[in-house]
Amino acid sequence: MATGFFTDTTLCIGCKACEVACKQWNELPSDGFSFTGNSYDNTSELSGTTWRHVAFIEQTTATEDGVENRWLMSSDVCKHCTNAGCLEACPTGAIIRNEFDSVFIQPDICNGCGYCVVSCPFGVVDLIAKFDPDGSHYNVASLMEERREERQTALQNNGGVAGKCTLCYDRQTLGFTPACAKACPTESIQFGDVEELRERARKRAVTLAGRGVDAQLYGVDDVGGGVGPLNAFFLLTDRPEAYNLPAAPVLPSTRQPAGYTAAALTALGLAVAGWMIFRNA
Amino acid sequence: MPGLGTSFGRGGATVWVPDLVNADCILIEGSNFAEAHPVAYRFVMKAKERGATIIHVDPRFTRTSATADIYAPIRSGTDIAFLGGVINYVLTNDRYFKEYVSAYTNASNIVGEQFKDTEDLDGLFSGYDPEGRSYDTDTWAYEKDERGHVKRDPTFQHERCVLNVLRRHYARYTPEMVERVCGTPQALFLKIAKLLADNSGREKTTAFAYAVGWTQHTAGVQFIRTAAILQLLLGNIGRPGGGIMALRGHADIQGATDIPTLYDLLPGYLPMPSALRKEATLESYLSVNSKPTGWWANTPKYVVSLLKAYYGEHATAANDYCFDYLPQLIGDHSMLPTTFAMKDGTVKGYFVIGQNPGASGQNAELVKAAMERLDWVVNIDSYDNETVSFWRREGADPGKIATEVFFLPAATVLEKEGTMTQTSRLLQWHDKAVEPAGDSKSDAWYFNWFARRLKALYADSTDPKDRPIQHMTWDYDHDDPHERAKDEPSVLKVLQEINGFRTADGEQVASFAELKDDGSTACGGWIYSGVCPDKHTNRARNRDASGPYTALNWGFAWPANRRTLYNRASADPQGKPWSERKRYVWWDDEKREWTGVDVPDFVKTKAPDTPADPDGKGMDAHSGADPFIMMLDGRGALFVASGLKDAPMPAHYEPLQSVVENQLYAQQSNPALGEYRRRDNPYNAPIDERYPYVLTTYRITEQSGIMTRYVPWLAELQPAAFCEIDPELAVEKRIKSGDWVTISTAVGEMEARALVSGRMTPLRIGSKGGRRRVHQIGIPYNFGDMVGLARGDSVGNLIAISLDPNVSIHESKTLTCDIRLGRRKTHHRDDIDMAVPSEERDPMGQPEGNWAGAHHGHGYQHMQGDDAGASTP
Amino acid sequence: MLSEFTPDQTVDDRRRPTYYDLPLLKAPHWEWNVVTYLFLGGIMGGLGLIQLLADGRKESERTLKRDARITAFALAAANPAILITHLGRPERFLNMMRIVKFKSPMSLGVWGLVLYSGAAGANMVRELALEGVLPRWLRFIAPGFLTPMQALLGAFTAGYTGVLLSATANPFWGSGKRHIPTASVASGLASACALSSLLCAIEGNTEPLHKLERLEMAAGATELLALVDFRRASGEYGKPFFEGARGKKLRDTTMIAGTLVPMALNLLGSIIKLPKPVDAVRVAVASILTLTGGYVLRESLIEAGKDSARDPRAAFRQPT
Ligand SMILES: Nc1nc2c(c(=O)[nH]1)N[C@H]1C(S)=C(S)[C@@H](COP(=O)(O)OP(=O)(O)OC[C@H]3O[C@@H](n4cnc5c(=O)[nH]c(N)nc54)[C@H](O)[C@@H]3O)O[C@H]1N2
Ligand SMILES: Nc1nc2c(c(=O)[nH]1)N[C@H]1C(S)=C(S)[C@@H](COP(=O)(O)OP(=O)(O)OC[C@H]3O[C@@H](n4cnc5c(=O)[nH]c(N)nc54)[C@H](O)[C@@H]3O)O[C@H]1N2
Ligand code: SF4
Ligand code: SF4
Ligand code: SF4
Ligand code: SF4
Ligand code: SF4
Ligand SMILES: [Mo]
Repeated sequence: MATGFFTDTTLCIGCKACEVACKQWNELPSDGFSFTGNSYDNTSELSGTTWRHVAFIEQTTATEDGVENRWLMSSDVCKHCTNAGCLEACPTGAIIRNEFDSVFIQPDICNGCGYCVVSCPFGVVDLIAKFDPDGSHYNVASLMEERREERQTALQNNGGVAGKCTLCYDRQTLGFTPACAKACPTESIQFGDVEELRERARKRAVTLAGRGVDAQLYGVDDVGGGVGPLNAFFLLTDRPEAYNLPAAPVLPSTRQPAGYTAAALTALGLAVAGWMIFRNA
Repeated sequence: MPGLGTSFGRGGATVWVPDLVNADCILIEGSNFAEAHPVAYRFVMKAKERGATIIHVDPRFTRTSATADIYAPIRSGTDIAFLGGVINYVLTNDRYFKEYVSAYTNASNIVGEQFKDTEDLDGLFSGYDPEGRSYDTDTWAYEKDERGHVKRDPTFQHERCVLNVLRRHYARYTPEMVERVCGTPQALFLKIAKLLADNSGREKTTAFAYAVGWTQHTAGVQFIRTAAILQLLLGNIGRPGGGIMALRGHADIQGATDIPTLYDLLPGYLPMPSALRKEATLESYLSVNSKPTGWWANTPKYVVSLLKAYYGEHATAANDYCFDYLPQLIGDHSMLPTTFAMKDGTVKGYFVIGQNPGASGQNAELVKAAMERLDWVVNIDSYDNETVSFWRREGADPGKIATEVFFLPAATVLEKEGTMTQTSRLLQWHDKAVEPAGDSKSDAWYFNWFARRLKALYADSTDPKDRPIQHMTWDYDHDDPHERAKDEPSVLKVLQEINGFRTADGEQVASFAELKDDGSTACGGWIYSGVCPDKHTNRARNRDASGPYTALNWGFAWPANRRTLYNRASADPQGKPWSERKRYVWWDDEKREWTGVDVPDFVKTKAPDTPADPDGKGMDAHSGADPFIMMLDGRGALFVASGLKDAPMPAHYEPLQSVVENQLYAQQSNPALGEYRRRDNPYNAPIDERYPYVLTTYRITEQSGIMTRYVPWLAELQPAAFCEIDPELAVEKRIKSGDWVTISTAVGEMEARALVSGRMTPLRIGSKGGRRRVHQIGIPYNFGDMVGLARGDSVGNLIAISLDPNVSIHESKTLTCDIRLGRRKTHHRDDIDMAVPSEERDPMGQPEGNWAGAHHGHGYQHMQGDDAGASTP
Repeated sequence: MLSEFTPDQTVDDRRRPTYYDLPLLKAPHWEWNVVTYLFLGGIMGGLGLIQLLADGRKESERTLKRDARITAFALAAANPAILITHLGRPERFLNMMRIVKFKSPMSLGVWGLVLYSGAAGANMVRELALEGVLPRWLRFIAPGFLTPMQALLGAFTAGYTGVLLSATANPFWGSGKRHIPTASVASGLASACALSSLLCAIEGNTEPLHKLERLEMAAGATELLALVDFRRASGEYGKPFFEGARGKKLRDTTMIAGTLVPMALNLLGSIIKLPKPVDAVRVAVASILTLTGGYVLRESLIEAGKDSARDPRAAFRQPT
């Protein structure tokens, strides 16, 4: 069964329980402690070690009687694309599509080449940098001594491995709901059979439109550029860009034919030129 | 909280969280529901999905506002003006629920002639004594007939009937006035007032939710009273999707007031005997605290059973059940006054258990300076925190601090078993998941150990004053040999004792109805009775969610597993549901009993048409249509004639530290508030140009206190103390988001990172010279500067201690301050170390001076600042 | 990631085009090693053509062919090592060979590299056997078809280094889906000619020089044309590459010093007959300039890719 997420941002209360639950289940370290001044968003982006990220979009609009505020919150995650740039790009076959139709990185096969990083049109996957040796980014209290070492070696791997949401593959095989969806108190993150979720998302958009909400679906249907529909899709109330989502993503491999053709033609042209030069002289 | 207690009879939230889904409208005011109670907020979102209108009234646009349908800005500390405005709207436009109000409230009571309102005395009620800064509440009494019964006018013609008194009192709370005082635009205010009225009545209900945004004020109790009045007028108490949801704080803070850690309460909201109230004997204590009518007529049963639980066979009728073993209060021994006493050298030792006043406390530098003067401190905590490490704080010289510090490691919640009582008064048992790390022990272990050591120490004493220790029952040995080997006591046995048992055979009682005042039963906390109805049942462990949505087999709610309190009011006086939509508990005429989806909060077989016996005792004095069983007259109180120290009906006063004059009355701030005018606790004067901004404090989802500041996953989400300021002020002060800023008050300075946000709106507030623009600054209180991964100055450094007169809660939600770009130098102040001259040491005149007069209800101090439990009516 | 962002009520936030100007995409984690890898890949590719074109029957071109084959193999052998410095551990390189994935330029490229090394290796062994350095019978190791094969694989190796970049989600790289491969191939050949010329000059084997120089000029001109057209075609996306300090460096180092100047020097060489030592200097200067230009081209591509990834505006609407 293909499983995925429907993230309904109109239900998100920005509690970040999803971010924390994901880190806890996957034993991921923190990404450092820096205050950004950008609303309540201090983790800023998805990273090799932040697999859920909650965006906070403050919108203050001046009106006749004062200001009108909107504060959009949305929990971003790997989209588990139908045509996944990362998967196509991966030279080692570390990235696979598993039995839940999710795009999954096998950490023991990944060699840290970083090619998936530049091939994801959503900026999701990233290399897990070298392990922070003093471990202060770790929830030391939560990790048993042995586990800590194990994780340390797994992550250390000089140069790191690529990291992103696994759609809680391990939990799913045990029949559990992914940690982030489980933790979400308001069901903003809904997990389940993608087809069912797509139906639900479409209905929800209609319901909301009926209430005068500018509901836009993102990724329920083909997002274009060859990427296809997403297995993790969203209901937004503003342009995708406001949430730092690409309005027009492109599947990188669609550029290959043009590239190879151009290279071949150039090579051919220069070869002919060379042949002429070397023969005529 | 006495706000709820004096209005309805019990201090707990009148509803339970999941019931919010039944609301047609939810007013969240005085709480940042989504951020501080995210899991409970699920039910608000569900209500919204079902079509309910969610309204948030808050000084800041928060994550709650973002998910609400309507957000209204308000100047911090002005909710009485706002809700008073709604009361005025409801009364002047005849939008109140007439049948409900006439049958279930004291609207028809006639107030005595001697009573004078704020209208007559420009902001004061009758009976004020400026010397003692307190009221003689006798002048607020009702008119009585010859037989001593309160006079009523069910036709509401009498000009002194409560409804008309209320009308006059709130007449000046017009929309225009609301705008001037609160800064809330009139149109928005009216929209909200209309929505509240539209969503109340037979077919609809509105729920209110508040938390410490209302309590931590010098008139906090009155804020809640305003809500209580409004909900009674709108007929929303005791009904599904109605009520007042008082959101509690820490996981077990409800439990910590039920079986209290408060100095002035015994378990089950029985007052601690007080020398000031002349309660030296059991008889005199009961004569003060037992009520002739209503449920509290049972007080003797609960007190005697409690004493039997404490002293076992030693407690006999002959010795007044060892009543004189209980300590007698001689003053205010709550946390904040005790802090001053520590500073002044009166108090020598300090147990700090699971609290971090060095960071979360008010005037936090003073707390730490006070600790320097102690002989010893015992800290039982799971982590190092700002309190444990006070001796190595910035500016302190450890070499000069003589205090001996004992730091005992506490097991965390996952490392021990027991119950937690959450915000819906629901007890839930949790098992131990892992063994405590290292040398950590559960808190119960420490107390078990202390108790045994004390008993051993005094075992041979012949001094009568040591008898309380000698006679104290103490038998909590764990049945599990593994736990017993580690000396862990059985907290289940503690819960069983709290439930109560028959002294003869040791069998558990099934409910508090079985308790007796003859020594044949023992009960450690009557309100929890029923949780362990027999030795094999622990209803706190119940995890059966089947059946109606009330899920009565999930956990155990006190009292008697009732979910919605006063639910008799969900039916009309004849016992029928007010409407099909709002069915909840009703009278089954065939079975001759109350029935419904909840446990009726009423005498189960008392028919709706049962007449009241005005001369009857206990429940007989109530009719079958009086839903508020804890109240003397069985009715909800629009007017509180006794039990509160500062007002029978809420009146708007400015906070002690305010940027404007009171627009409503000449009286600036609550005339009965508690002040500590000492040099180590200076206040910003009202309208002090040096402190032109309103400051409010609150919490954020990502942090709670030291427990979260150590967790990298949470620390990265909110890594630093910050302050929220509006863009206009930011431009004026050249502050950019992310900059370091310093905020200052007369008490001290703190530095924080600036978060410039359009969510903070400057307000236009009325003042003598017309309107002025008021900027509000918000600072989360969750940070501390010494330990953890996320650090920052504690906002407690900015807050001088001042108190609400009823519950001595600190005013930490509304202050004034200044702000500038750049970092502070040091927040160590020399004056905080100076000894305070003796004439400044007794700040409130007589300790508890205004206490003795309050016969009904009891003030109590909540150590941490949550709202607390019930007061006796 | 501290931003300078301060809300301004005079601006309608709903129109704010980005999310606090934070990047949408992830920047490549690629440093000197990947730059070098791409650069050498290009040269290898060019050498593949040169070893094919060089006429084995003429002594001077035989030397050229031999040198080309030896350097080609040396580079092909060096490249995995360089990649390993990027991957961290040698065994990680082996993971690259778990599978063949046609959709992945990186996978194909590695296989191309491996096959190329094979062909180049065999061809080199043949040369060394012919030279007598290795046993003579070893010359049969490389059948004749390996010569065009090496050229073909070389074209692929040079070309894929361009496709590797352009077939990614990086907006700048993506905007050069034709231009970057073209420039990579051309620049690779130019650099290969330069390297061969340099070796000829060092060995005093001046005869093939003018052929190499003319081929280098053709390749250089192609590269230049590709870059000029790239600038036009890439528009906004090309800014991190063509503008600012990086643009200036590209113009000065790759386009002028690395292409135009060597072209001029080569032209000079074919017009005026310079004294031998002077001419050797001319060849050396031209070659080093071309090679430097080629390296800077790769470096600029990678670095501009990083900047482009950091610009959310570019990433929101990817070039198609
Ligand atoms: N994540 C997290 N959750 C917590 C806690 C925590 O530390 N972290 N603490 C727990 C505890 S102990 C408690 S007591 C609860 C408290 O729960 P809440 O009371 O909901 O939380 P606060 O954030 O203190 O304050 C609520 C709101 O009151 C507003 N406010 C301030 N002054 C006024 C006023 O005068 N009028 C009105 N209408 N609003 C005002 C503030 O802007 C704030 O948004 O939260 C509990 N939940
Ligand atoms: N300015 C301002 N000040 C405020 C407030 C505000 O809104 N504004 N809110 C007030 C309110 S409502 C509250 S509740 C207080 C909260 O103030 P505190 O109770 O001081 O807050 P915490 O940081 O939660 O402290 C809890 C301590 O208990 C420890 N602990 C945790 N679990 C256990 C355990 O099982 N056993 C033991 N022994 N220790 C344990 C933790 O390590 C921590 O040190 O702050 C109050 N202060
Ligand atoms: S979002 Fe990116 S990382 Fe996730 S599957 Fe798609 S391409 Fe791969
Ligand atoms: S970094 Fe790992 S997962 Fe990503 S492309 Fe390279 S091998 Fe595949
Ligand atoms: S599905 Fe699992 S791995 Fe993916 S974001 Fe959720 S918790 Fe993290
Ligand atoms: S857990 Fe749910 S509500 Fe909370 S931030 Fe994540 S998506 Fe939003
Ligand atoms: S921290 Fe615990 S008590 Fe607080 S909202 Fe989350 S689950 Fe509920
Ligand atoms: Mo609290």
